[in-house]
Amino acid sequence: MRKIFKHEPAPGRIAGDVDDELAFHIQERTEKLIGQGMSPDAARTEALKQFGDMRDVRDSCVTLDRARASEVRRSRRFEELRQDLAYAWRSTRRNPGFALVVILTLALGIGANTAIFTLVDAVLLRKLPVREPDQLFAIGNPTSVGNVSVSDRQRADIMSYPQYRHIRDNARSFSGVLASGRGGRLDVYVGEPNGDPEHPSTRFVSGNYFSVLGVPAFIGRTFEDRDDREGQAPPIAVISHGYWTRRFASEPSAIGRIIRVQGQQLTIVGVTPPGFRGEIVGSSPELWLPITLQPVLNPYQPMLEDMQYQWFLLLARRNDGVTESQATAEMTTMLRNWIDEKTPPRGARSQVPEPVYLASGARGFSWVREEYRVPLFTLMAGVGLVLLMICANIANLLFARAIGRGREMGVRLSLGAGRARLVRQLLTESLLLALFATGTGLLVATWGSRILLLMAGNDDTPVPVDANLSLPVLGFTVLLTILALGLFGLAPALRTSRVDLASVMRAQSRSLASGLGGGPGRLLSGQLLITAQVALSLVLVLGAALLVRSLSRLQNTDTGLDRDRLLVVDVAAQQRGYMDERRDQLLRQVTERVTALTGVKAVSFSENGIFSGTESSTNFFVPGFTARDENDTTAYYDEVGPGYVEAIGGRLIEGRDISDRDVAGSVPVILVNQTMAQFYWPGRSAVGQTIRYHQVSLEVVGVLADTKDHALDSKPVRRFYLAYTQRAIEDPVALRVLVRATDDPALLGNPVAAEIRAIDPELRVRHEPLAVTIRESIAQERMMARLAGGFGVLALLLAAIGLYGLMTFATSRRTGEIGLRMALGAKRGDVVRMVLLEAFKLVGLGLVVGVPFAFAATRLLKNQLFDVPAGDPVSAIVAVAVLTGAAALAALIPALRASRVDPMTALRQE
Amino acid sequence: MRRFKSQLPSAAAPRTFPYEQDGKNPMMDPDGGLLRGTLDLLILKALSWGPRHGYAVAEWIHGATDHTLLVEEGPLYTALHRLERKGWLEAEWGLSEKNRKAKYYQLSRSGRQQLRAEITSWERYAVAVSKAIAATT
Repeated sequence: MRKIFKHEPAPGRIAGDVDDELAFHIQERTEKLIGQGMSPDAARTEALKQFGDMRDVRDSCVTLDRARASEVRRSRRFEELRQDLAYAWRSTRRNPGFALVVILTLALGIGANTAIFTLVDAVLLRKLPVREPDQLFAIGNPTSVGNVSVSDRQRADIMSYPQYRHIRDNARSFSGVLASGRGGRLDVYVGEPNGDPEHPSTRFVSGNYFSVLGVPAFIGRTFEDRDDREGQAPPIAVISHGYWTRRFASEPSAIGRIIRVQGQQLTIVGVTPPGFRGEIVGSSPELWLPITLQPVLNPYQPMLEDMQYQWFLLLARRNDGVTESQATAEMTTMLRNWIDEKTPPRGARSQVPEPVYLASGARGFSWVREEYRVPLFTLMAGVGLVLLMICANIANLLFARAIGRGREMGVRLSLGAGRARLVRQLLTESLLLALFATGTGLLVATWGSRILLLMAGNDDTPVPVDANLSLPVLGFTVLLTILALGLFGLAPALRTSRVDLASVMRAQSRSLASGLGGGPGRLLSGQLLITAQVALSLVLVLGAALLVRSLSRLQNTDTGLDRDRLLVVDVAAQQRGYMDERRDQLLRQVTERVTALTGVKAVSFSENGIFSGTESSTNFFVPGFTARDENDTTAYYDEVGPGYVEAIGGRLIEGRDISDRDVAGSVPVILVNQTMAQFYWPGRSAVGQTIRYHQVSLEVVGVLADTKDHALDSKPVRRFYLAYTQRAIEDPVALRVLVRATDDPALLGNPVAAEIRAIDPELRVRHEPLAVTIRESIAQERMMARLAGGFGVLALLLAAIGLYGLMTFATSRRTGEIGLRMALGAKRGDVVRMVLLEAFKLVGLGLVVGVPFAFAATRLLKNQLFDVPAGDPVSAIVAVAVLTGAAALAALIPALRASRVDPMTALRQE
Repeated sequence: MRRFKSQLPSAAAPRTFPYEQDGKNPMMDPDGGLLRGTLDLLILKALSWGPRHGYAVAEWIHGATDHTLLVEEGPLYTALHRLERKGWLEAEWGLSEKNRKAKYYQLSRSGRQQLRAEITSWERYAVAVSKAIAATT
């Protein structure tokens, strides 16, 4: 017997093999029977008879063989995977430095991407953790989440309590409608009321709030419908799981505890489940209070029955079978009718209907969503580019390593390993690295997203969104890993496995590189990678340059205020019941005492303060001015004390400042800013003109240069300033004392607070230098600039490392040639120049490709840039220069090394 | 009375073959009329001297048992393929004495162990059964 081949039939051959085998048997048997004297036909019939049921036997043999074949395949595949993994593990262990570099850089890339995506998921994508969030329907403008509008004019973006009641009781699309409004800053004492109160984040909500959302109590109970039955204000509160853990040490006995809120005793009745953060993404209430408690807690500003106070956003649960468009139709009509019926017909009412804000409520309300959408996507693009560059670098490293493994691959190929098998094996090695990197990357991500939230927030308080890893985030990370693996692992694996056996087997170490299907090939792919890296890093560096420049423009923008010398002091006068005459008295005392302090240049006060986040606006009538629409007669305003312009360091263009003679009873006066003066009285003096609010005529006594009162990046808007103490159109609520210092205003904080407490020790005072407030107001811009700068530096580093690696490789291949050149009289400088020139060719090519690409990409930044055009040439020049400099440094080291080649040694090596 | 425990290996585990489940020929005993497991033992024994093709195995069984045991030859092949799947046999294509392509089977290492185990248990079984039928009381 001679063996021909190992019996391992291809799946398609199984049936044929069985047929052959059985045919052989019949043939042998027939021949034997013929040999015994039978006729061929009879012999064949007899053979078949002896065999039995041929078809049945054949079928069962085929079935058995198929089963066996698939078992063999499966176990072989498993065995190969085991081998590949073991092998990958060994080769990783053998080269720990390489593995560490790959794992760490990749972990950084994956981690950064996951961190940003965590935020994208938390802020933009995730649905509320409530019952059937898709049924929810949002009524109101999400960016008005923390607003209170005081106006006769009825609105559709934010609602009054009577309007909420109307919708709740009459809308037919919904099984329930909840209302939620800002809680504001409430003084809370958990224990005895001494020392400073705490200010947890609060929210006033309707009694059906939790039942409409479908959120049960974690312990205790939530609010019930009866909790806001008219005329009742049950003294109860529900606290969040976080607050319960932090302030009550997760004690079940917290239920039933009494806390003091604004001096009122409230009983804690329940704790919400962990993970529930209310219906507003980007805020995290710790204390929920029944709406009906509002007038009890703020007796000086009851906002419940007065239709002027519009401060609720509504979330409704759609009835089964009611679509979003049906709900939208019903609500649009309802809101428009309400506005038409309830807004007093005065002045020129806009012909344009009030915009309504109706949307799916599945993801709740959020102002951060709008605010962070573009920055988040920008960051996403940034980290995506960084990951691309990291992949390119790792691919480069793998290519370099391929040179060293040419012989190994050659040996394996010649021992009969298939090319596919080699590719699979190399990919397994990359996969192992990628798995380690993903694990580390997830750690990086959890830290990273927390740090980002901290950077985006104010005062060391992170933006309160849930940054825990979620399933979509994990899915994203896995996808990212696969993608990265495909990017950096596949090409080197394919190339490494393409070994020219003959030259490898010649076993000359110097020809190994060429055995690898080419040193030139390796160089070419390396050059392509470098060009791509230069182009990519240019995008990141240019983006960083633009954002940093924009930030510095923003920081140094002229506010029209003496911003570095101002101290803003928030005085809770209303909470102590200071009204009318008593408040005037208080203001006189405060001004007098603070002015007397050393280091104080001027003192005044206003209702809204500066950069406080609180602004007022109103409608009025301007005699002689024809308004096109309602916006034309709207302006921002504040109520300010005597000497206001002087105190904020503003500039009077015309007329006079508010003075201490502008008191209740005298002719009501206002200051207007330049924008307002030019808008209503172009080419004329504004002083002496009047505007009318209801029946009150307000006379312009001064014009001041435009100031940026509440945002650095705001365009000039119309503003006017009423005299605080005249109370001409309404009674001011808040009180902010503005102190202009001769020196550092921070030093004045405590002395000023002490003076105010000396008048009334119970007065609550908060103070902050304006510069600090302003810095916090641009926290997001600072974060973006810092992150973009970080990405830029990282990109530079990656590109430089890549270029360094490539040039080192290229010059090492040319040692002989360089030696020859030097032997023929080339100077060291010539060699350095030659190598640098080669590097610059690559960098130049990258820049040529990169510049238009970078400009196209950074156009996306347009809306985030302040006073810097997206195509800013200065930034572009800086970016190109920085990149070229980094490249020169990276190429200089191999160039110098090459120039130190000893010609004799080099030539002998050849 | 001595206690006896059956250790017939291939009878111990119930076999489910596709064609049995198909119910194509439920009355046909898959081992061609042999006591279950006996055919396996005979095949293993037939291959204990070296590789043979299926026909040679059949001839050996006919000769060794005086044509008494193997009624039909078809089930022999089912058994060969089954034993190959179990890993007791390895198969290779080769050329027969008459230069025809034939599938040769040989015992694997585990097949050899299996043969030893089956012989032992068969002998114990046979002794026990013989003893039982020879009993006079």
